Amino acid sequence: MKRIRIATLSHVLFAVLLLVGCNQSTSSEKGAGGGSKKLVVGVTMLSMQNEFIVNVHDEMAKKAEAEGVDLITVDAERSPLKQVEQVESFIAQKVDAIIMNPCEVEASSPAVTKALAAGIPIINVNSETSTKPSAFVGSDDVESARIAMKFIAEKLGGKGNVVMMHGYMGQAAQIKREQGAREILKQYPNLKLLAQQTGEWDRAKAMSLMENWIQSYGPQINAVFAHNDEMGLGAVKALEDAGLKSKVIVVSIDAIPDALQAVKKGTLDATVFQNAEQQGSKAIETALKAAKRQAFEKQTLIPFQLVTTANVATFLKP
Amino acid sequence: MTSDTILQVRGLTKTFSGVKALDDVQLTIRKGEVHALMGENGAGKSTLMKILIGLLTPDSGEILFEGNDLTTGNVGDVLKRGISMIHQEMLMIPELTVAQNIFLGRERSGGLLRWLDDRRLTEKAGALLEQMGVAIRPDMPVKYLSVAQMQMVEIARAISNNASVIIMDEPTSALADAEVATLFRIIGELTRQGVAIIYISHKMDEIFTIADTVTVLRDGKYIATRPAAELDIDTLIALMVGRKLDSLFPVPDGVPAGEVMLSVDGLGRRGVFADISFEVRAGEVLGIAGLMGAGRTEIARAIFGLDRISQGEIRIRGKRVVIHSPQDAIGHGIGYVSEDRKGWGFIPGMSVRENLTLASLRKWSSGPFIRDKQERDVATAMMGELNVKATGPDQLVTYLSGGNQQKVVIGNRLLAQPAILILDEPTRGIDIGAKAEIYRLIHQWQQRGVAIIMISSELPEILGMSDRIMVLAQGKQTTMLSRHEASQETIMRYAMHRDRDTGPTGE
Amino acid sequence: MKNGFTTSFNQVSTSYKTRVQGIGKYGLLAAFLLICIALSVLTPRFLTVQNLMIIVTQVSINALLAFGVTFVIITGGIDLSIGSMVAVTGVVAASFAHPDTFPVAVPLLMGLLAGVAFGAFNGFVVTRSNVPPFIVTLGTMTIGRGLALILSNGRPVSNLSDSFNFIGGGKVLGVPTLIILLIVAFISCTIVLRKTVLGRYMYAVGGNEQAARASGIRVGAVKMAVYTLCGGLAALAGILLTSRITTGQPNAGAGFELDAIAAAIIGGTSTSGGSGTMTGTLIGALLIGVISNGLDLLNVTSYYQQVVMGIIIIGAVVLDSLHNKTNA
Repeated sequence: MKRIRIATLSHVLFAVLLLVGCNQSTSSEKGAGGGSKKLVVGVTMLSMQNEFIVNVHDEMAKKAEAEGVDLITVDAERSPLKQVEQVESFIAQKVDAIIMNPCEVEASSPAVTKALAAGIPIINVNSETSTKPSAFVGSDDVESARIAMKFIAEKLGGKGNVVMMHGYMGQAAQIKREQGAREILKQYPNLKLLAQQTGEWDRAKAMSLMENWIQSYGPQINAVFAHNDEMGLGAVKALEDAGLKSKVIVVSIDAIPDALQAVKKGTLDATVFQNAEQQGSKAIETALKAAKRQAFEKQTLIPFQLVTTANVATFLKP
Repeated sequence: MTSDTILQVRGLTKTFSGVKALDDVQLTIRKGEVHALMGENGAGKSTLMKILIGLLTPDSGEILFEGNDLTTGNVGDVLKRGISMIHQEMLMIPELTVAQNIFLGRERSGGLLRWLDDRRLTEKAGALLEQMGVAIRPDMPVKYLSVAQMQMVEIARAISNNASVIIMDEPTSALADAEVATLFRIIGELTRQGVAIIYISHKMDEIFTIADTVTVLRDGKYIATRPAAELDIDTLIALMVGRKLDSLFPVPDGVPAGEVMLSVDGLGRRGVFADISFEVRAGEVLGIAGLMGAGRTEIARAIFGLDRISQGEIRIRGKRVVIHSPQDAIGHGIGYVSEDRKGWGFIPGMSVRENLTLASLRKWSSGPFIRDKQERDVATAMMGELNVKATGPDQLVTYLSGGNQQKVVIGNRLLAQPAILILDEPTRGIDIGAKAEIYRLIHQWQQRGVAIIMISSELPEILGMSDRIMVLAQGKQTTMLSRHEASQETIMRYAMHRDRDTGPTGE
Repeated sequence: MKNGFTTSFNQVSTSYKTRVQGIGKYGLLAAFLLICIALSVLTPRFLTVQNLMIIVTQVSINALLAFGVTFVIITGGIDLSIGSMVAVTGVVAASFAHPDTFPVAVPLLMGLLAGVAFGAFNGFVVTRSNVPPFIVTLGTMTIGRGLALILSNGRPVSNLSDSFNFIGGGKVLGVPTLIILLIVAFISCTIVLRKTVLGRYMYAVGGNEQAARASGIRVGAVKMAVYTLCGGLAALAGILLTSRITTGQPNAGAGFELDAIAAAIIGGTSTSGGSGTMTGTLIGALLIGVISNGLDLLNVTSYYQQVVMGIIIIGAVVLDSLHNKTNA
């Protein structure tokens, strides 16, 4: 049951509504700000329905408020086409800098080219495009998968069967997380990749997928590596229902609150913490420096941290 | 084969999944004659015509056209040889102009990529239409034409095709009287030029007006060919139905009418009709006559709550009522059978049973649940009463003949036990046998005390069924005649009445 | 396109029609069984009680949505907002389902109420305006998605009580609750469609709205009922999904409307209204589920799954149009 998108019309409508809305909000704020010219940063996010992305954005908003910068945020709803259009409209609005959380490696690249051609600095946050932007703030997704897979390998003593749940095929995060996982698999020849399939980042889909794999492979499965926590939690649920959780290791990435709870309970064996706060605030910092034509880091990599029962307490917010 | 025979059909047989649609049928058409093809629905007329124009291939038999065998021709061959058909439902491309439609498929531009010579086509079409004596602009897109005008364009197409035989299938079904006159004039001119017309119609008066020869088919078999002059209506009907109908219309039994069920006073709808006042009593049939566009259907729609009225009032059993929707009307005991059977009559995807019980379903259910057995019994009983010819109550209505579909629609209204029944063109497009049955039914329900309003374009029907007749012209009531006052001539005189002092709007 | 020929040509068209209807009715079942047999041969894992139960469990959410949308399509309408309703009702239910807050009936009722209200709003706009249902529900689809995000602040609503999680994730006598609820819903919907006045009116309205009006049916009320019913079923699906994955996700149900509509159409519900059955829709949903499950078992990538699914949908609609043509 894969999705089929017919939403072109709704996308267009939506984009128009968003743009109209944004124009109004900025102009009114500019008016209220009086004489001092505020910097304006356009932000296009992969999907505001993804918790991690929302966290990154919330941090950006907080930071922007503190720095006295106007943010225009739009949601690309996972559509690179829409994202490019959004960046085009940022260019037309003559924003001072653009922060893009790219939908896809290739398809979102034209947005970078266009922004650079217009002389507006563009900062990629969280994931990359094939065209080099002014700066990149994020973490190396390959590294997160290395950490996760390494944890599985060590737990299994370098020997066993692993299944892998991919994100949306073709997205930067999916490609890199797969790459990192495969690097580790290569180092452990006795670690076998039994099956792999996309769970589309979605908990319900991952749950169904895991159920089907349990039917297919049953007790042969020793570990599950899911490209994000949502899918990891879906796999945990399916394994629990089948009474297999105690025999199978599940590791995923992102350290969303649900996943941290699950790690605490011991149902999810580990997750990898990607620092949304730092990504958000560094992105704004870099964008401001670029907008003011100051020197800035071309690449800011925020390190990952493995979260297990041992250290989960430090990540849980009160 | 005499020298003036242009088309001869012999021993034609066609079978569809075991059923003989045509069985050893013959037909001889001579140059310059109007040859009426008569028969009830299902008699095989359409199958025969489809074979003639090459849409179907016969199982056996031969077709000789000007002495050449045409039996296995396809549509294109037949067209080239000069047989054209004017379809009951127009087959034209609405966005194209009259001229483009006339020459469609025969533009002869010399290649797909060449420019079409539209101007030349338009001139040619214009000349043709002028020759026919019809005022239609050849450069007008067909979608702006009236049905009658489209028909003329179809005929022009046939003529431009050098057709020597033109088949007309119910050509007057959508025409007003003046337009019928034009059509008949054109038919006269065509026959003078030696074109033969095969004319299919249910309207007896037309047949006797223009046909030279009549061939009758019944149940797929050839019955007879006679010169029209030697036939009268009774003989022709007897040939068609295979028995002599005692009388098409039931004999009035002189039962006195009861209380006034519906009365209408000064009813008007702006720009459509005005000052309509009449009453109908229980056990009475009020006929409404008038030319097409006189406002007959519009009055019925307004009473049934489909259109709003702008003036006047409606009383039921003497009590004033306000009707805003069909539900209101039905609540007051009004049933309406529309002239548009397909549009407003039945639900094609439903069975005979489901269609019959639809308006009265609440009666055959307990709470939200339908009482299956009772519903079936009621439907079966009604099918018997109406003499609906179907394989059973579960047959889909779509597969029934027009007459039987109409019976189902009437049965649907009757099961709701209306006190007032409005029938709009109840026998349009129905064969003669079913017509007689519907007349019998109307009479039966009249005897049971239902007040009936019957709208019809067919004067014999109005005269044969009505106790009183209201005649309309241009949205106004011109007279109310009693049964013995009325005749075709008086009705037509009042229907043609032109009131020059006030317009049809009658504010 | 109608022409003078088909109308008067009863003998041919009748036999042709029965034939095509035959394909439509039994062809689907045959195709379904054929695919099941093929999968049984290809993998021994397919035909096991446990796997079949899993398929039905996975199908149940889509089937519930498909039942609702079948009602709507039968009346000649469409509802694209069901996927968003899943998200809204799921988030609403989850908000009331935290442990030690309300008894489990509260999130259930609140979720259902949200769905019914949403559906009734659809029905209201469809009946009170001349805007086609496709556009109306395209609009409410977006509105619903937005509402779900607003209500949840864009974050999943988790930490739900065990009793709530039992509704969609538990088992009774070894049978998953989802299967039990699916069967109950299937029987109820079949009864509504086949045995009640409302069901009959649905077919009438979809088959010929004018004729239905002339028969005294309150067309607006029937449509209102249908969209509301669809909203209620979408709410049930939303609550069950939330319970199954133990979290209310604002992005849940994206694209579900298309799977549900596909199930109904594969099951023989005519997009032009007036025909369709719950059995057909159930088989349609099962067909989609079996293919998805089978291809997962065979470890076929999802790309091929999409191609297969598309072919099946087009095939179903082609059959449907053949069927319609003969009815013209």
